[in-house]
Amino acid sequence: MGWLVLAILFFLILLPLAAVIIQVLLPGVFFGQWNIGDLSLLLDVFTRPLWLASLKNSLYLGVGTTVFATALGCALAIVRSRWSFQTARLLDLAVWVLLITPSFILAQGWVMFAAADGLANAWLGWTWITSLVFSPEGLVVVMSLSKFPLAYLAIASALEWKVDRLGEAARLCGGSLWTVWRTVELPLLLPAICSGALLVFMDTIGDFGLPASIAAVFRFPTLPYSIYSALYTSPIRFDMAGVLSFYLVLLIVAAMSIQFYVMRKARFDVLSSRATRQERKTTKRGSLWLNIGCISFLLVVIGIPFGANLLMSISDTSSMDQGLQGLTLRHYEELFANGEALLDGLLHSLGIAATAGIIGLIVGFFVAYVLTYSPFKYRRAVDVISLVSLAVPGVVLGIGYIFVWNQRWLEPIGLLLYGTPWILALASVAGAIPIITRVIVGAMAKVPGQLLAAAQMQGASFVQRVRWILLPLIRGALVAAGLSAFGSSVFDLAATSILFPPDFMTLPVFINKAFEDLKFAYAAASTLMGGGLVVLIIVIVELLFQPKKWKAGRDHA
Amino acid sequence: MNKKNRKPKWSVLTLLVSTSLLFAGCGQGSTTPAASGTDKAGNQPAASTTTGSAPTKEDKSKGEPLVVYLNDFDEIIGPMFEKETGYKVKLVSGNGAEIMSRIEAEKGNPHWDVVWMDAMPSIHKLGKDGQLLEGWTPNNAAGLTDFAAKLVPANKTYYPTGAHAAGVIIANTKQLPADKAPKSWNDLVKPEFQNMVGMADPAVAAPAYPFVAWFFQQEGMDKGKAYFDQLLQNGARVYPKNPNVAKALTGGEIKLAALQESNAYTLKNKKEPVEIIWPEEGAPASVRVAGIQKDTKNVEAAKAFIDFILDPKVQQQLIDQGEESYFEPSAKGAVAKKDRAANAKLVVADPEWASEHEAEIKQWFADKAVK
Repeated sequence: MGWLVLAILFFLILLPLAAVIIQVLLPGVFFGQWNIGDLSLLLDVFTRPLWLASLKNSLYLGVGTTVFATALGCALAIVRSRWSFQTARLLDLAVWVLLITPSFILAQGWVMFAAADGLANAWLGWTWITSLVFSPEGLVVVMSLSKFPLAYLAIASALEWKVDRLGEAARLCGGSLWTVWRTVELPLLLPAICSGALLVFMDTIGDFGLPASIAAVFRFPTLPYSIYSALYTSPIRFDMAGVLSFYLVLLIVAAMSIQFYVMRKARFDVLSSRATRQERKTTKRGSLWLNIGCISFLLVVIGIPFGANLLMSISDTSSMDQGLQGLTLRHYEELFANGEALLDGLLHSLGIAATAGIIGLIVGFFVAYVLTYSPFKYRRAVDVISLVSLAVPGVVLGIGYIFVWNQRWLEPIGLLLYGTPWILALASVAGAIPIITRVIVGAMAKVPGQLLAAAQMQGASFVQRVRWILLPLIRGALVAAGLSAFGSSVFDLAATSILFPPDFMTLPVFINKAFEDLKFAYAAASTLMGGGLVVLIIVIVELLFQPKKWKAGRDHA
Repeated sequence: MNKKNRKPKWSVLTLLVSTSLLFAGCGQGSTTPAASGTDKAGNQPAASTTTGSAPTKEDKSKGEPLVVYLNDFDEIIGPMFEKETGYKVKLVSGNGAEIMSRIEAEKGNPHWDVVWMDAMPSIHKLGKDGQLLEGWTPNNAAGLTDFAAKLVPANKTYYPTGAHAAGVIIANTKQLPADKAPKSWNDLVKPEFQNMVGMADPAVAAPAYPFVAWFFQQEGMDKGKAYFDQLLQNGARVYPKNPNVAKALTGGEIKLAALQESNAYTLKNKKEPVEIIWPEEGAPASVRVAGIQKDTKNVEAAKAFIDFILDPKVQQQLIDQGEESYFEPSAKGAVAKKDRAANAKLVVADPEWASEHEAEIKQWFADKAVK
């Protein structure tokens, strides 16, 4: 199975990426040209001011955001799994919303809020907020508030099951609550924290939209920015994009090496037949504070970006100083008036995202299985490749997909996928694999291999073992993984904008076009519409697959 | 454990090497028409794009729609063309850079028949590299204005359909009264406009390059650099794209901007407090041109398309109904928007010069912006 997984990942992710990186060595190799490229480009990162600055900025941003977002996500996940409070559901919902919203929309909201005559300034008189947000530190904060869901999800799904006896044993030996938490429970969470942190890191260094919008004011180029500028020039420098992507891959390898080092000798498979579902405590007084804290937090992470977008979508001009007179539902009317194009794009995107979610879930499950249980020799390679597509900008993978899937010899065998919707589904699967895999791995890490081995000795086949032991234990994580893949694929702009077949508009392309045509309000309106629909679908699917979780939440409330 | 950690890198490397070998094989097998010109009969690029999508009706091109890559007018041009000529057409729209990336990446097996974009230097380069149909003159070329006729290249690989300002001066009148606004490009470096000016990044925004290219060609490389150096030292801010510039202007971060023409008029029509100023020396133009892919299977339909968009009636319709409607038409008889300034003067950087210096100028900006 290891080889199969490796082969799938190779075709989905590594091949297209390598197709771009190979441009450094052999530019034009896909067009039948045999020129040796200029390898000195590889070292140019140390001499070109832009590249050097991008590398430094990306590192600063990546490390800073990882630290804060992981701490935030971890704290929230622990609070969420420990205590029951009414607004907890909202927190879960907020996490999904943040996860699937394209970063350029979040950025737009923050900019509207914090700009010199934005909302904070005009309505609250907070003039200080402009210089605070539009600084490298502010960018880290905004990024952290947007990326923490990745860490939250990874850690929360690992907290689904608990084994009290380890903690109880420690308590019996006289450890205080704090000591037990610090020395037993926190270390047990380490795999989940690490994978959460990695996800945040990758997503941060690979993000173009957010830093580009917020950092525009104070010039803060990042690696994705430099990649874009290499592609957005003429003659197009695929080789430069290749070099910079190569550096992104190196950063991933470095980050993962750190992860391996941290987890080098630990064992984390603590779940046994004695595991129970995590019970949430309710306290009268505590729950009030928890609700207040939760609401204020949500006001910041959801309220600011989406509130600003909502206001934008119902205001007449882009300045916010007209008060109530400027409000209008005109943009929503427009949305329905020429709804055909939007509906078309939405249906295309939903179809592709659903395909990507399902295929991605299957692939992701096997990847996670190999990573967790298989003695496969090249597990580490699988691990690295499964994360690559998060950090490498979608546009790079998109170009790689064209190189790979648009070769003439593929046509007679029916595999000329470029120009068909299949290429979009494949690219979306590639984009979704990191999140799916990490979420499932986090959950699998707690299911010991012995459980499966015991079943195997009783004669259970692989299918039986998965069906009756593994799936029930990690069902929550599987649903979470599939839905996050679905949600983020709906809005995946970068890859689809370069791969969509003729006359095959997708939702993010549609939104982005509205944005580029300066129809900010219209763009905001269609985002909120599309996003609302996606959230609705996600809630329904969650209800279908995990009715208990919802009921439990309500019972406590 | 350390040894184990090293493994992934080796395996990745092995994979990389084997990949490159794999590609090498493919490259050999798929010698391109662009490079050798032997594969005339080859495959049908347009046919492949229809795989998996809805079947097309019987039409002039026998079920094989014309594929047009464009960056504007996608909202109306398809039905207009189909109704008038009977040819089926499919569109791929995107921003200029995306479309150019696609064209470049598809070089071995192009999916497009016609490209129609306001990116003259880039398309000029396609023509020079032999990727466009050469030496064909559309019937409607006779009706080009003098301004437009001069822009047709000697090898006749593309034809202009209109031009608009890649940058006009636009001021936020709430913060800067119209009588205090600058009148020419040189005013922008004056101390009174310190920390007020914004512009789009030529390294990222497609229309921003034709804009800066004109300064560099007009003044020479050194003086061009000096001008933009002064501008940046005067506190000018560079935003990734024109919409970001527009946003910063209405948001009050900047009071003045060099903004792409249709963006500027969009703001004005949205009743934002802005004033558009056409500089005396002229606004650098971005020219929309159209060319045909050299090995297209849809030559007749492609030629019909180019002739169609050079028709004054069609250009008039684009002006009256299109979204990017503020431009100077290339066909005699078509009239620009009434509210477009009467003194709108366009100046154009020579495409040959502009495409030659593109990499150099863009990199200069990119590196400049970091410091």
